[in-house]
Amino acid sequence: MSKFMVIGERIHCISPAIRQAFADRNPEPILLRAKEQLDAGADYLDLNIGPAEKGGEELMQWGVKLLQENFDNVPIALDTANMKAIEAGIQVYNRSKGKPIVNSADAGDRIEYVDLAAANDAMVIALCSKEGVPGSNDERIAYCSELLERGMERGMEPTDLLFDPLFIVIKGMQDQLGDVLEAIQMITDMGLLTTGGLSNVSNGAPKHIRPLLDSATVAMAMQCGFSSAIVNPCDKRLMETIVACDIIKNNILYADSVLEF
Amino acid sequence: MPYKKAEQKFSGKINVCEIGVGDAAISIGGENSLPFLGTEGFKTAVGIAISDTTDEWADCFKALYGDDLKNPAALAKAAVEKSGADFLLVKLESADPNGADASVESCVATAVAVEAAIDVPLVVEGCKNGEKDAKLLEEVAKALEGKNVVLFSAVEDNYKTIGAAGGMAYGQKVSAESAVDINLAKQLNILLTQLGVKSKDIIMDVGTAAAGYGFEYVASTMDRIRLAGLGQNDESLQMPIMTNVSNEAWGVKEAVSTIEDAPEWGDQEARGIGMEVATASACVVGGSNAIIVRHPESAKTVKALVAGIIG
Repeated sequence: MSKFMVIGERIHCISPAIRQAFADRNPEPILLRAKEQLDAGADYLDLNIGPAEKGGEELMQWGVKLLQENFDNVPIALDTANMKAIEAGIQVYNRSKGKPIVNSADAGDRIEYVDLAAANDAMVIALCSKEGVPGSNDERIAYCSELLERGMERGMEPTDLLFDPLFIVIKGMQDQLGDVLEAIQMITDMGLLTTGGLSNVSNGAPKHIRPLLDSATVAMAMQCGFSSAIVNPCDKRLMETIVACDIIKNNILYADSVLEF
Repeated sequence: MPYKKAEQKFSGKINVCEIGVGDAAISIGGENSLPFLGTEGFKTAVGIAISDTTDEWADCFKALYGDDLKNPAALAKAAVEKSGADFLLVKLESADPNGADASVESCVATAVAVEAAIDVPLVVEGCKNGEKDAKLLEEVAKALEGKNVVLFSAVEDNYKTIGAAGGMAYGQKVSAESAVDINLAKQLNILLTQLGVKSKDIIMDVGTAAAGYGFEYVASTMDRIRLAGLGQNDESLQMPIMTNVSNEAWGVKEAVSTIEDAPEWGDQEARGIGMEVATASACVVGGSNAIIVRHPESAKTVKALVAGIIG
Protein backbone atom coordinates (compact mmCIF):
# COMPACT_ATOMS: atom_id res chain seq x y z
CA MET A 1 0.00 0.00 0.00
CA SER A 2 1.18 3.46 -0.67
CA LYS A 3 1.48 6.23 1.85
CA PHE A 4 -1.58 8.25 2.82
CA MET A 5 -1.89 11.32 0.60
CA VAL A 6 -2.44 14.66 2.31
CA ILE A 7 -4.12 17.43 0.32
CA GLY A 8 -3.66 20.77 2.09
CA GLU A 9 -6.85 22.79 2.24
CA ARG A 10 -5.61 26.16 3.42
CA ILE A 11 -5.46 28.08 0.15
CA HIS A 12 -9.15 28.73 0.08
CA CYS A 13 -11.01 31.81 -0.98
CA ILE A 14 -13.25 31.52 2.08
CA SER A 15 -10.33 32.99 4.01
CA PRO A 16 -10.46 36.80 3.77
CA ALA A 17 -6.68 37.08 3.45
CA ILE A 18 -6.57 34.64 0.56
CA ARG A 19 -9.61 36.15 -1.13
CA GLN A 20 -7.95 39.53 -1.00
CA ALA A 21 -4.68 38.10 -2.29
CA PHE A 22 -6.49 36.56 -5.25
CA ALA A 23 -8.19 39.87 -5.99
CA ASP A 24 -4.92 41.82 -5.83
CA ARG A 25 -2.80 39.06 -7.41
CA ASN A 26 -0.64 39.39 -4.33
CA PRO A 27 1.63 36.33 -4.07
CA GLU A 28 2.79 36.77 -0.46
CA PRO A 29 -0.17 35.43 1.60
CA ILE A 30 -0.59 32.51 -0.80
CA LEU A 31 3.07 31.54 -0.79
CA LEU A 32 3.13 31.77 2.98
CA ARG A 33 0.24 29.34 3.36
CA ALA A 34 1.69 27.03 0.74
CA LYS A 35 5.01 26.89 2.55
CA GLU A 36 3.39 26.26 5.94
CA GLN A 37 1.44 23.36 4.54
CA LEU A 38 4.35 21.80 2.66
CA ASP A 39 6.63 22.13 5.67
CA ALA A 40 3.95 20.36 7.70
CA GLY A 41 3.94 17.43 5.27
CA ALA A 42 1.27 18.15 2.64
CA ASP A 43 1.65 16.12 -0.58
CA TYR A 44 -0.81 18.13 -2.70
CA LEU A 45 -2.08 21.68 -2.31
CA ASP A 46 -5.71 22.49 -2.93
CA LEU A 47 -6.13 25.76 -4.80
CA ASN A 48 -9.66 26.98 -4.21
CA ILE A 49 -10.43 30.15 -6.10
CA GLY A 50 -14.16 30.08 -5.32
CA PRO A 51 -16.90 30.35 -7.95
CA ALA A 52 -14.60 32.62 -10.00
CA GLU A 53 -17.22 33.37 -12.59
CA LYS A 54 -15.34 36.39 -13.82
CA GLY A 55 -11.67 36.08 -14.74
CA GLY A 56 -11.43 32.57 -13.31
CA GLU A 57 -9.30 31.21 -16.12
CA GLU A 58 -6.64 33.81 -15.75
CA LEU A 59 -6.74 33.60 -11.94
CA MET A 60 -6.33 29.81 -11.92
CA GLN A 61 -3.40 29.98 -14.31
CA TRP A 62 -1.79 32.64 -12.17
CA GLY A 63 -2.27 30.51 -9.03
CA VAL A 64 -1.00 27.28 -10.58
CA LYS A 65 2.10 28.95 -11.96
CA LEU A 66 2.73 30.83 -8.73
CA LEU A 67 2.68 27.65 -6.62
CA GLN A 68 4.55 25.41 -9.02
CA GLU A 69 7.28 27.92 -9.81
CA ASN A 70 7.94 28.58 -6.13
CA PHE A 71 7.63 25.05 -4.81
CA ASP A 72 9.34 22.70 -7.26
CA ASN A 73 6.24 21.88 -9.34
CA VAL A 74 4.16 20.92 -6.32
CA PRO A 75 1.09 18.92 -7.44
CA ILE A 76 -2.20 20.77 -7.09
CA ALA A 77 -5.93 20.09 -6.73
CA LEU A 78 -7.71 22.68 -8.86
CA ASP A 79 -10.81 23.65 -6.97
CA THR A 80 -13.55 25.86 -8.40
CA ALA A 81 -17.07 25.71 -9.77
CA ASN A 82 -15.78 27.25 -12.99
CA MET A 83 -14.88 24.37 -15.31
CA LYS A 84 -13.16 26.60 -17.83
CA ALA A 85 -10.88 27.86 -15.08
CA ILE A 86 -9.87 24.29 -14.22
CA GLU A 87 -9.12 23.55 -17.85
CA ALA A 88 -7.09 26.73 -18.13
CA GLY A 89 -5.17 25.79 -15.00
CA ILE A 90 -4.33 22.36 -16.38
CA GLN A 91 -2.96 23.97 -19.55
CA VAL A 92 -0.14 25.57 -17.58
CA TYR A 93 0.24 22.72 -15.07
CA ASN A 94 3.56 20.87 -14.80
CA ARG A 95 3.00 17.14 -14.21
CA SER A 96 6.50 16.15 -13.11
CA LYS A 97 5.47 15.70 -9.46
CA GLY A 98 1.97 14.29 -10.06
CA LYS A 99 -1.17 14.66 -12.13
CA PRO A 100 -3.52 17.57 -11.48
CA ILE A 101 -6.63 16.77 -9.44
CA VAL A 102 -10.00 18.17 -10.52
CA ASN A 103 -11.96 19.15 -7.40
CA SER A 104 -14.68 18.02 -7.72
CA ALA A 105 -17.32 15.96 -9.51
CA ASP A 106 -20.53 14.42 -8.20
CA ALA A 107 -23.22 12.18 -9.66
CA GLY A 108 -25.54 15.14 -10.17
CA ASP A 109 -24.96 18.53 -11.75
CA ARG A 110 -21.19 18.18 -11.54
CA ILE A 111 -20.82 14.87 -13.35
CA GLU A 112 -19.17 16.62 -16.29
CA TYR A 113 -16.15 17.27 -14.10
CA VAL A 114 -15.36 13.58 -14.65
CA ASP A 115 -15.38 14.21 -18.40
CA LEU A 116 -13.14 17.20 -17.86
CA ALA A 117 -10.63 15.09 -15.91
CA ALA A 118 -10.74 12.29 -18.50
CA ALA A 119 -10.18 14.69 -21.37
CA ASN A 120 -7.18 16.23 -19.63
CA ASP A 121 -5.55 13.09 -18.14
CA ALA A 122 -6.19 14.38 -14.64
CA MET A 123 -7.38 12.76 -11.44
CA VAL A 124 -10.75 13.76 -10.05
CA ILE A 125 -12.35 13.87 -6.64
CA ALA A 126 -15.71 12.16 -7.09
CA LEU A 127 -18.31 12.92 -4.43
CA CYS A 128 -20.60 9.92 -3.85
CA SER A 129 -23.68 12.12 -3.87
CA LYS A 130 -26.21 13.73 -6.13
CA GLU A 131 -27.87 16.40 -4.03
CA GLY A 132 -26.56 16.94 -0.54
CA VAL A 133 -25.47 14.15 1.76
CA PRO A 134 -26.49 10.64 0.66
CA GLY A 135 -29.03 8.99 2.94
CA SER A 136 -27.55 5.51 2.96
CA ASN A 137 -24.60 3.47 1.79
CA ASP A 138 -26.73 1.94 -0.95
CA GLU A 139 -26.95 5.44 -2.36
CA ARG A 140 -23.24 6.11 -1.86
CA ILE A 141 -22.24 2.96 -3.69
CA ALA A 142 -24.74 3.58 -6.50
CA TYR A 143 -23.24 7.05 -7.08
CA CYS A 144 -19.73 5.67 -6.78
CA SER A 145 -20.50 3.09 -9.49
CA GLU A 146 -22.09 5.71 -11.71
CA LEU A 147 -19.05 7.97 -11.45
CA LEU A 148 -16.64 5.09 -11.98
CA GLU A 149 -18.49 3.99 -15.12
CA ARG A 150 -18.52 7.52 -16.44
CA GLY A 151 -14.77 7.80 -15.99
CA MET A 152 -13.92 4.40 -17.44
CA GLU A 153 -16.13 4.95 -20.47
CA ARG A 154 -13.97 7.96 -21.16
CA GLY A 155 -10.75 6.05 -20.75
CA MET A 156 -9.78 6.90 -17.16
CA GLU A 157 -7.86 4.52 -14.92
CA PRO A 158 -10.08 3.60 -11.95
CA THR A 159 -7.35 4.79 -9.59
CA ASP A 160 -7.51 8.28 -11.06
CA LEU A 161 -10.89 8.74 -9.37
CA LEU A 162 -10.72 9.58 -5.67
CA PHE A 163 -14.12 8.73 -4.16
CA ASP A 164 -15.37 10.98 -1.40
CA PRO A 165 -18.00 9.28 0.79
CA LEU A 166 -18.90 12.66 2.33
CA PHE A 167 -17.99 12.89 5.97
CA ILE A 168 -20.81 13.62 8.35
CA VAL A 169 -20.62 16.36 10.96
CA ILE A 170 -20.54 14.79 14.40
CA LYS A 171 -22.57 17.52 16.04
CA GLY A 172 -26.08 16.49 15.15
CA MET A 173 -25.38 13.49 12.93
CA GLN A 174 -22.95 11.35 14.87
CA ASP A 175 -25.14 8.29 14.48
CA GLN A 176 -24.28 8.20 10.78
CA LEU A 177 -20.49 8.32 11.00
CA GLY A 178 -20.31 4.54 11.17
CA ASP A 179 -21.92 4.45 7.72
CA VAL A 180 -19.17 6.65 6.31
CA LEU A 181 -16.49 4.30 7.63
CA GLU A 182 -18.35 1.33 6.19
CA ALA A 183 -18.61 3.10 2.82
CA ILE A 184 -14.84 3.65 2.81
CA GLN A 185 -14.35 -0.06 3.42
CA MET A 186 -16.77 -0.97 0.62
CA ILE A 187 -15.13 1.37 -1.87
CA THR A 188 -11.67 0.12 -0.86
CA ASP A 189 -12.80 -3.47 -1.31
CA MET A 190 -13.68 -2.57 -4.90
CA GLY A 191 -9.99 -1.71 -5.41
CA LEU A 192 -10.66 2.02 -5.54
CA LEU A 193 -9.12 5.02 -3.81
CA THR A 194 -10.89 7.34 -1.39
CA THR A 195 -10.59 10.89 -0.12
CA GLY A 196 -12.69 13.37 1.80
CA GLY A 197 -12.94 16.67 3.56
CA LEU A 198 -12.07 15.42 6.99
CA SER A 199 -12.56 18.63 8.94
CA ASN A 200 -16.28 18.46 8.26
CA VAL A 201 -16.43 15.83 11.00
CA SER A 202 -15.58 18.30 13.73
CA ASN A 203 -17.33 21.32 12.28
CA GLY A 204 -18.78 23.48 15.04
CA ALA A 205 -16.83 21.77 17.83
CA PRO A 206 -14.54 23.86 20.08
CA LYS A 207 -11.04 24.51 18.74
CA HIS A 208 -9.28 22.25 21.24
CA ILE A 209 -11.63 19.34 20.50
CA ARG A 210 -11.36 19.43 16.72
CA PRO A 211 -7.87 17.91 16.36
CA LEU A 212 -8.92 15.04 18.62
CA LEU A 213 -12.03 14.24 16.59
CA ASP A 214 -10.27 14.66 13.25
CA SER A 215 -7.30 12.48 14.18
CA ALA A 216 -9.43 9.70 15.67
CA THR A 217 -11.60 9.76 12.56
CA VAL A 218 -8.64 9.55 10.21
CA ALA A 219 -7.18 6.63 12.17
CA MET A 220 -10.43 4.67 12.05
CA ALA A 221 -10.94 5.56 8.38
CA MET A 222 -7.40 4.48 7.48
CA GLN A 223 -8.09 1.11 9.03
CA CYS A 224 -10.99 0.87 6.55
CA GLY A 225 -8.64 1.71 3.69
CA PHE A 226 -8.99 5.50 3.50
CA SER A 227 -6.18 6.58 1.18
CA SER A 228 -6.14 10.40 1.15
CA ALA A 229 -7.86 13.41 2.67
CA ILE A 230 -8.27 17.11 2.26
CA VAL A 231 -7.11 18.48 5.59
CA ASN A 232 -5.36 21.25 7.42
CA PRO A 233 -1.77 19.93 7.50
CA CYS A 234 -0.88 22.45 10.18
CA ASP A 235 -2.93 20.36 12.63
CA LYS A 236 0.02 18.63 14.27
CA ARG A 237 -2.00 16.03 16.12
CA LEU A 238 -3.71 14.99 12.89
CA MET A 239 -0.48 14.78 10.89
CA GLU A 240 1.27 12.77 13.59
CA THR A 241 -1.67 10.40 13.69
CA ILE A 242 -1.47 9.92 9.93
CA VAL A 243 2.25 9.09 10.14
CA ALA A 244 1.63 6.63 12.99
CA CYS A 245 -1.18 4.95 11.05
CA ASP A 246 0.98 4.80 7.92
CA ILE A 247 3.58 2.94 9.97
CA ILE A 248 1.06 0.57 11.56
CA LYS A 249 -0.35 -0.21 8.12
CA ASN A 250 3.19 -0.77 6.78
CA ASN A 251 2.76 2.04 4.26
CA ILE A 252 6.03 3.63 5.34
CA LEU A 253 9.09 2.20 7.00
CA TYR A 254 9.53 2.94 10.70
CA ALA A 255 12.56 4.80 12.08
CA ASP A 256 13.00 6.42 15.51
CA SER A 257 13.15 9.88 13.92
CA VAL A 258 10.23 9.29 11.59
CA LEU A 259 8.38 12.41 12.75
CA GLU A 260 11.35 14.63 12.00
CA PHE A 261 11.77 13.74 8.37
CA MET B 1 -9.16 -9.84 -24.64
CA PRO B 2 -6.00 -8.28 -25.99
CA TYR B 3 -2.84 -8.82 -23.96
CA LYS B 4 -1.94 -5.92 -21.75
CA LYS B 5 1.57 -5.94 -20.37
CA ALA B 6 1.47 -5.11 -16.68
CA GLU B 7 4.33 -2.82 -15.82
CA GLN B 8 5.12 -1.63 -12.34
CA LYS B 9 6.00 2.03 -12.44
CA PHE B 10 7.82 3.52 -9.50
CA SER B 11 7.61 7.13 -8.45
CA GLY B 12 10.97 7.11 -6.66
CA LYS B 13 14.53 6.99 -7.93
CA ILE B 14 17.80 5.94 -6.31
CA ASN B 15 20.31 8.77 -5.93
CA VAL B 16 23.38 8.87 -8.12
CA CYS B 17 26.53 8.95 -6.03
CA GLU B 18 29.90 9.70 -7.59
CA ILE B 19 33.05 8.38 -5.94
CA GLY B 20 36.66 9.08 -6.85
CA VAL B 21 37.90 12.02 -8.94
CA GLY B 22 38.81 12.80 -12.52
CA ASP B 23 38.91 10.06 -15.13
CA ALA B 24 38.87 7.36 -12.46
CA ALA B 25 35.59 8.53 -10.91
CA ILE B 26 32.62 6.17 -11.04
CA SER B 27 28.90 6.66 -10.38
CA ILE B 28 26.70 4.23 -8.52
CA GLY B 29 22.89 4.21 -8.26
CA GLY B 30 20.49 6.17 -10.42
CA GLU B 31 17.98 3.41 -11.17
CA ASN B 32 14.20 3.85 -10.99
CA SER B 33 13.38 0.15 -10.95
CA LEU B 34 14.29 -2.98 -9.07
CA PRO B 35 17.70 -4.35 -10.10
CA PHE B 36 18.02 -5.18 -13.80
CA LEU B 37 14.28 -4.68 -14.49
CA GLY B 38 14.42 -1.12 -15.76
CA THR B 39 14.92 0.25 -19.21
CA GLU B 40 17.96 2.21 -18.17
CA GLY B 41 21.08 0.14 -17.59
CA PHE B 42 21.64 -0.99 -14.04
CA LYS B 43 25.36 -1.49 -13.68
CA THR B 44 26.68 -2.73 -10.38
CA ALA B 45 30.19 -1.53 -9.56
CA VAL B 46 32.56 -4.27 -8.41
CA GLY B 47 35.27 -3.53 -5.85
CA ILE B 48 38.23 -5.52 -4.59
CA ALA B 49 39.03 -5.66 -0.87
CA ILE B 50 42.42 -5.54 0.79
CA SER B 51 43.47 -5.12 4.41
CA ASP B 52 46.47 -3.90 6.37
CA THR B 53 46.19 -7.14 8.36
CA THR B 54 46.20 -10.28 6.24
CA ASP B 55 47.62 -12.84 8.72
CA GLU B 56 44.38 -14.74 8.86
CA TRP B 57 43.70 -14.74 5.14
CA ALA B 58 43.54 -18.11 3.43
CA ASP B 59 46.80 -19.52 2.01
CA CYS B 60 45.66 -19.05 -1.57
CA PHE B 61 46.19 -15.29 -1.17
CA LYS B 62 49.86 -15.86 -0.24
CA ALA B 63 50.29 -17.74 -3.48
CA LEU B 64 48.45 -15.02 -5.34
CA TYR B 65 50.10 -11.91 -3.92
CA GLY B 66 53.38 -13.15 -2.42
CA ASP B 67 55.26 -10.51 -0.40
CA ASP B 68 52.86 -7.80 -1.49
CA LEU B 69 50.47 -9.18 1.11
CA LYS B 70 52.50 -7.39 3.82
CA ASN B 71 52.61 -4.07 2.00
CA PRO B 72 49.17 -2.46 1.63
CA ALA B 73 50.20 -0.07 -1.19
CA ALA B 74 51.75 -2.86 -3.27
CA LEU B 75 48.84 -5.13 -2.42
CA ALA B 76 46.36 -2.48 -3.56
CA LYS B 77 48.11 -2.09 -6.89
CA ALA B 78 48.31 -5.85 -7.46
CA ALA B 79 44.69 -6.42 -6.41
CA VAL B 80 43.38 -3.82 -8.87
CA GLU B 81 45.56 -5.19 -11.66
CA LYS B 82 44.64 -8.83 -11.08
CA SER B 83 40.91 -8.23 -10.61
CA GLY B 84 40.13 -5.39 -13.01
CA ALA B 85 37.91 -4.02 -10.24
CA ASP B 86 36.12 -0.68 -10.56
CA PHE B 87 37.27 0.47 -7.13
CA LEU B 88 39.25 -0.71 -4.11
CA LEU B 89 38.43 -1.06 -0.42
CA VAL B 90 41.18 -0.99 2.17
CA LYS B 91 40.32 -2.19 5.64
CA LEU B 92 42.40 -0.59 8.40
CA GLU B 93 42.03 -3.56 10.67
CA SER B 94 45.26 -2.95 12.56
CA ALA B 95 43.61 0.04 14.28
CA ASP B 96 41.46 -2.30 16.37
CA PRO B 97 42.13 -1.62 20.10
CA ASN B 98 41.44 -5.29 20.74
CA GLY B 99 43.98 -6.25 18.10
CA ALA B 100 47.21 -4.58 17.02
CA ASP B 101 45.88 -1.19 18.22
CA ALA B 102 47.95 0.65 15.61
CA SER B 103 47.95 4.44 15.90
CA VAL B 104 45.59 6.61 13.91
CA GLU B 105 48.63 8.29 12.28
CA SER B 106 50.07 5.05 10.95
CA CYS B 107 46.70 3.88 9.65
CA VAL B 108 46.12 7.23 7.94
CA ALA B 109 49.56 6.90 6.34
CA THR B 110 48.53 3.48 5.03
CA ALA B 111 45.33 4.89 3.54
CA VAL B 112 47.26 7.72 1.87
CA ALA B 113 49.85 5.30 0.43
CA VAL B 114 47.12 3.00 -0.88
CA GLU B 115 45.31 5.89 -2.50
CA ALA B 116 48.50 6.99 -4.25
CA ALA B 117 49.20 3.47 -5.53
CA ILE B 118 45.92 2.99 -7.42
CA ASP B 119 44.05 4.74 -10.20
CA VAL B 120 40.55 3.69 -9.13
CA PRO B 121 38.28 5.21 -6.44
CA LEU B 122 38.97 4.28 -2.83
CA VAL B 123 36.76 3.06 0.00
CA VAL B 124 38.30 3.15 3.48
CA GLU B 125 36.93 0.68 6.00
CA GLY B 126 37.57 1.16 9.70
CA CYS B 127 38.37 -1.49 12.29
CA LYS B 128 34.75 -1.80 13.49
CA ASN B 129 35.45 -0.27 16.88
CA GLY B 130 33.04 2.66 17.01
CA GLU B 131 35.19 4.98 19.10
CA LYS B 132 38.43 4.32 17.23
CA ASP B 133 36.74 4.50 13.84
CA ALA B 134 35.38 7.95 14.67
CA LYS B 135 38.92 9.29 15.13
CA LEU B 136 40.40 7.20 12.39
CA LEU B 137 37.90 7.96 9.65
CA GLU B 138 37.86 11.64 10.60
CA GLU B 139 41.63 11.80 10.06
CA VAL B 140 41.42 9.74 6.88
CA ALA B 141 38.82 12.18 5.56
CA LYS B 142 41.15 15.06 6.32
CA ALA B 143 44.27 13.48 4.84
CA LEU B 144 42.50 12.48 1.64
CA GLU B 145 40.61 15.72 1.13
CA GLY B 146 39.76 16.20 -2.54
CA LYS B 147 39.97 12.48 -3.34
CA ASN B 148 36.24 11.86 -2.83
CA VAL B 149 36.66 8.59 -0.96
CA VAL B 150 33.99 6.57 0.86
CA LEU B 151 34.23 6.37 4.66
CA PHE B 152 33.03 2.87 5.43
CA SER B 153 31.12 3.12 7.72
CA ALA B 154 29.43 5.40 10.23
CA VAL B 155 27.32 3.73 12.91
CA GLU B 156 24.82 5.11 15.42
CA ASP B 157 27.58 5.78 17.97
CA ASN B 158 29.91 7.76 15.73
CA TYR B 159 27.84 9.15 12.86
CA LYS B 160 28.20 12.72 14.14
CA THR B 161 31.99 12.73 13.94
CA ILE B 162 32.23 10.79 10.70
CA GLY B 163 29.31 12.63 9.10
CA ALA B 164 30.62 16.06 10.06
CA ALA B 165 34.18 15.32 8.98
CA GLY B 166 33.54 13.25 5.90
CA GLY B 167 30.30 14.51 4.51
CA MET B 168 30.74 18.15 5.37
CA ALA B 169 34.23 19.41 6.27
CA TYR B 170 36.28 17.37 3.81
CA GLY B 171 33.78 16.54 1.06
CA GLN B 172 33.96 12.76 1.18
CA LYS B 173 31.15 10.21 0.92
CA VAL B 174 29.74 8.74 4.09
CA SER B 175 28.52 5.19 4.31
CA ALA B 176 25.95 4.40 7.02
CA GLU B 177 26.10 0.93 8.51
CA SER B 178 22.87 -0.64 9.71
CA ALA B 179 23.74 -4.33 10.15
CA VAL B 180 20.68 -5.78 8.43
CA ASP B 181 18.24 -3.60 10.38
CA ILE B 182 15.83 -1.78 8.06
CA ASN B 183 14.60 0.67 10.66
CA LEU B 184 18.14 1.59 11.63
CA ALA B 185 19.04 2.06 7.95
CA LYS B 186 16.34 4.68 7.65
CA GLN B 187 17.14 6.21 11.03
CA LEU B 188 20.84 6.72 10.22
CA ASN B 189 20.01 8.34 6.90
CA ILE B 190 17.64 10.73 8.66
CA LEU B 191 20.21 11.51 11.35
CA LEU B 192 22.98 12.15 8.82
CA THR B 193 20.67 14.34 6.75
CA GLN B 194 19.65 16.32 9.84
CA LEU B 195 23.30 16.76 10.68
CA GLY B 196 23.73 18.48 7.32
CA VAL B 197 25.18 15.73 5.13
CA LYS B 198 23.58 15.93 1.68
CA SER B 199 21.64 12.80 0.75
CA LYS B 200 23.66 12.45 -2.46
CA ASP B 201 26.76 12.08 -0.28
CA ILE B 202 25.33 9.18 1.72
CA ILE B 203 25.71 5.49 0.87
CA MET B 204 23.95 2.67 2.69
CA ASP B 205 25.95 -0.21 4.12
CA VAL B 206 23.00 -2.41 5.02
CA GLY B 207 25.23 -5.36 5.87
CA THR B 208 25.25 -8.92 4.67
CA ALA B 209 25.58 -12.53 5.76
CA ALA B 210 27.35 -15.28 3.87
CA ALA B 211 25.05 -17.26 1.58
CA GLY B 212 23.47 -20.02 3.63
CA TYR B 213 24.01 -18.17 6.90
CA GLY B 214 20.74 -16.28 7.27
CA PHE B 215 21.04 -14.56 3.92
CA GLU B 216 17.26 -14.58 3.41
CA TYR B 217 17.09 -11.89 6.08
CA VAL B 218 19.52 -9.77 4.06
CA ALA B 219 17.45 -10.35 0.93
CA SER B 220 14.21 -9.24 2.57
CA THR B 221 15.95 -6.21 4.07
CA MET B 222 17.27 -5.05 0.71
CA ASP B 223 13.91 -5.70 -0.87
CA ARG B 224 12.05 -3.68 1.73
CA ILE B 225 14.53 -0.80 1.49
CA ARG B 226 14.29 -0.66 -2.28
CA LEU B 227 10.50 -0.91 -2.34
CA ALA B 228 10.29 1.93 0.18
CA GLY B 229 12.66 4.10 -1.86
CA LEU B 230 11.12 3.34 -5.23
CA GLY B 231 7.49 2.45 -4.54
CA GLN B 232 6.78 4.71 -1.60
CA ASN B 233 9.18 7.39 -2.80
CA ASP B 234 10.73 7.49 0.65
CA GLU B 235 13.57 9.97 0.20
CA SER B 236 15.29 8.78 3.35
CA LEU B 237 15.93 5.42 1.66
CA GLN B 238 17.00 6.43 -1.85
CA MET B 239 20.72 6.15 -1.25
CA PRO B 240 22.74 3.57 -3.21
CA ILE B 241 23.72 0.39 -1.37
CA MET B 242 27.35 -0.72 -1.01
CA THR B 243 28.01 -4.22 0.30
CA ASN B 244 31.29 -5.77 1.36
CA VAL B 245 30.79 -9.54 1.33
CA SER B 246 34.48 -10.44 1.67
CA ASN B 247 34.69 -10.62 5.47
CA GLU B 248 31.53 -12.73 5.79
CA ALA B 249 32.16 -15.02 2.83
CA TRP B 250 35.78 -15.76 3.80
CA GLY B 251 34.79 -16.23 7.45
CA VAL B 252 32.56 -19.31 7.23
CA LYS B 253 33.75 -22.90 7.54
CA GLU B 254 33.29 -23.62 3.84
CA ALA B 255 35.97 -21.02 3.11
CA VAL B 256 38.09 -21.37 6.23
CA SER B 257 38.58 -25.14 6.37
CA THR B 258 41.78 -26.23 4.69
CA ILE B 259 42.03 -29.23 2.39
CA GLU B 260 43.56 -31.14 5.33
CA ASP B 261 40.58 -30.24 7.57
CA ALA B 262 38.01 -31.32 5.03
CA PRO B 263 39.50 -33.32 2.18
CA GLU B 264 36.05 -34.38 0.96
CA TRP B 265 35.22 -30.72 0.21
CA GLY B 266 38.02 -30.27 -2.26
CA ASP B 267 40.18 -27.24 -3.02
CA GLN B 268 39.92 -24.46 -0.44
CA GLU B 269 40.49 -21.62 -2.89
CA ALA B 270 37.66 -22.80 -5.13
CA ARG B 271 35.37 -23.11 -2.11
CA GLY B 272 36.18 -19.61 -0.91
CA ILE B 273 35.56 -18.14 -4.33
CA GLY B 274 32.34 -20.13 -4.53
CA MET B 275 31.07 -18.75 -1.22
CA GLU B 276 32.06 -15.25 -2.24
CA VAL B 277 30.49 -15.39 -5.69
CA ALA B 278 27.27 -16.96 -4.35
CA THR B 279 26.95 -14.26 -1.70
CA ALA B 280 27.95 -11.40 -3.97
CA SER B 281 25.63 -12.37 -6.80
CA ALA B 282 22.71 -12.67 -4.38
CA CYS B 283 23.46 -9.12 -3.17
CA VAL B 284 23.76 -7.86 -6.73
CA VAL B 285 20.32 -9.11 -7.71
CA GLY B 286 19.01 -7.93 -4.35
CA GLY B 287 19.93 -4.32 -5.03
CA SER B 288 23.56 -3.63 -4.07
CA ASN B 289 24.86 -0.86 -6.31
CA ALA B 290 28.46 -1.62 -5.39
CA ILE B 291 29.71 -5.02 -4.31
CA ILE B 292 33.06 -5.76 -2.72
CA VAL B 293 34.90 -9.11 -2.80
CA ARG B 294 38.37 -10.31 -1.81
CA HIS B 295 39.47 -12.73 -4.52
CA PRO B 296 40.27 -11.34 -7.99
CA GLU B 297 38.50 -14.34 -9.56
CA SER B 298 35.36 -13.47 -7.60
CA ALA B 299 35.54 -9.90 -8.91
CA LYS B 300 35.91 -11.06 -12.50
CA THR B 301 33.05 -13.54 -12.15
CA VAL B 302 30.67 -10.97 -10.66
CA LYS B 303 31.62 -8.44 -13.34
CA ALA B 304 30.86 -11.04 -16.01
CA LEU B 305 27.55 -11.82 -14.31
CA VAL B 306 26.51 -8.17 -14.31
CA ALA B 307 27.57 -7.71 -17.93
CA GLY B 308 25.74 -10.91 -18.87
CA ILE B 309 22.47 -9.87 -17.23
CA ILE B 310 22.55 -6.43 -18.81
CA GLY B 311 23.25 -8.08 -22.18
